[in-house]
Amino acid sequence: MNGQYTRTILKKLLLQHSGKSRLVFAWLSLWTGICLLLLSVAAWWNLRLIMHGKSSKDSLGSTFITISKFVTPENVTGTHAFTTEEIQSLLQTPQVQDAGALTPATFPAAISIGGALGFSTLLPLESVPDRFIDAATGNWHWEEGMMEVPIILSSELLNQYNYVFAPSQGLPLLTEDAVKALTFRLEIGTMRESYIGRVAGLSDRITSVLVPESFIRYGNTRHGNDRKVRPSRLILKTADPSDQTFTQYLEARNYKVNAEQLRWNKLRAAVQFISLAMGMLAVALTGISALVFLMFIELTLTRAREAMQLLLQTGYSPAYLRRFVTQRFVPLLLSAVLTAVIPVMLIQVFFHSYMHRQGIETGWLPGWPVWAITATCLFLILWLVRCTIRKAVG
Amino acid sequence: MTLSLNGLLPIPLQEQHSRRKSGVWLQSLNLEQGDTVLLLAPSGTGKTTLLHILYGIRDDYEGDAAWDHTTVKTMSPESLATLRAKQVSIVFQDLRLFPRLTVLENLELKRSLTDTISREEMMTWLTRLGISNKQHAAIHTLSYGEQQRVAIIRSLLQPFRWLLMDEPFSHLDPDNTRIATTLIQEVTAGNKAGLLLAALDENRYFDYSKTISL
Repeated sequence: MNGQYTRTILKKLLLQHSGKSRLVFAWLSLWTGICLLLLSVAAWWNLRLIMHGKSSKDSLGSTFITISKFVTPENVTGTHAFTTEEIQSLLQTPQVQDAGALTPATFPAAISIGGALGFSTLLPLESVPDRFIDAATGNWHWEEGMMEVPIILSSELLNQYNYVFAPSQGLPLLTEDAVKALTFRLEIGTMRESYIGRVAGLSDRITSVLVPESFIRYGNTRHGNDRKVRPSRLILKTADPSDQTFTQYLEARNYKVNAEQLRWNKLRAAVQFISLAMGMLAVALTGISALVFLMFIELTLTRAREAMQLLLQTGYSPAYLRRFVTQRFVPLLLSAVLTAVIPVMLIQVFFHSYMHRQGIETGWLPGWPVWAITATCLFLILWLVRCTIRKAVG
Repeated sequence: MTLSLNGLLPIPLQEQHSRRKSGVWLQSLNLEQGDTVLLLAPSGTGKTTLLHILYGIRDDYEGDAAWDHTTVKTMSPESLATLRAKQVSIVFQDLRLFPRLTVLENLELKRSLTDTISREEMMTWLTRLGISNKQHAAIHTLSYGEQQRVAIIRSLLQPFRWLLMDEPFSHLDPDNTRIATTLIQEVTAGNKAGLLLAALDENRYFDYSKTISL
């Protein structure tokens, strides 16, 4: 079979019964549906990156919470440490995925800085298993004999210094980089064993002054007054700490949670819910738009049914006619799906530069789920188009 | 290519058949390629139905109709397409042309399927049948006789081993009928094909080797 002339005749017979306005409407409908779906996937992925990304700090949506026991008149003279049974019980709740102890130093520790910043203060040191640390942990290592001790400070501590302490003492303000460049004298124990302290990072997750676990173990053994320290604070990795059942569980056991962390978590849950609702709406709209496009194909082929039957009786094979019709509709489908990616890419670039100015890193390009959904939509609609054509041609 | 009929009877004709005898229905019949067969059939006895069965358009019948021992009923749509494009051609009683297309477009659709007849030869046939001046006219603007000539030319624009014709000259005058039959004979002979013509009455359009009453 050959000839542009024949194809022109076939086009006249089979594809010109629905009008250009219907075609434009069907194309626009599909384009809009796909575009909305991709935008919602991109939004969901960006939120996920911001909230769970390993590269960024997780203050926007930490699922880590620190708990301790309330100090009440009844227990003011007793211990606030968690027992092994209590930790096991926590681990068995569906919301808790992991738990780590914040082990306090049972020895005195003080830091001092000379020069313009010259000051000296006692510091409560703690350690936490490495898997709970969110700050940069390059050289987060200490072993006996090493003079330099890495320290992770709470971001909140830096804020306290910059906004409360420094102005009242006439001291210069410090940036994160400046803090990391500082070294100071660290003295521990009553014998004032001396080390060089270096800030390895700032943590949003844990409000404490952290040193490696090996350093706490060494200090507690050599200088401490209690060799078997039980944790009085726990850090928990949770699925959703704002879950009502979990909150009730904590309240029933008189456990205290950082209220700020919970507020963030509630906000995160709300954002996730809105994102999910948007996604479902986008899926529904995409479904409707794909249906409009498929109905346009079906209408076109229904109107050409007599011509189709006559062509089959003339000797045209169903496979050839299916191929001919597919070749006319697939470019429309491809152009709608592929051009729908363009606004998503532009918005992602704009979003990236906006978030970069806010100090939050996202990708320049839409994340892989956007491309995966694009490909899935393309193949799914392509398959539906083929089914519609097969049903119409036979 | 052998056409075999065995115990064939269309379901709509079952009641009617019990009242009259037929040379085709419920008979065993073999027609060989090269035969020129006249199928004589009064109105309403099923001649169009028979041709549609042979061409694979309807399947509401009992018994078998087979081309080279392949039963038409079991042929896949793709096999039927090959049969219609390369082995069996037809002139329908109701012509089945595309009414909104021009004469040339109707013919080109068929010719380009196999490209065995050149465009020039097709134009010669249009001239011989006296409708070359209508080549750019839409089919629905032509008289029935002119449309019949277009349908005849269309049926010859492919290779075939059998040519089925259902009252193909019903609206043609004797001169045009003679020109058409001459062309059909030439092309059928060129294809070494069989010819099955269904008509209401006896005729001498061709030198028939068999006459069968339906």
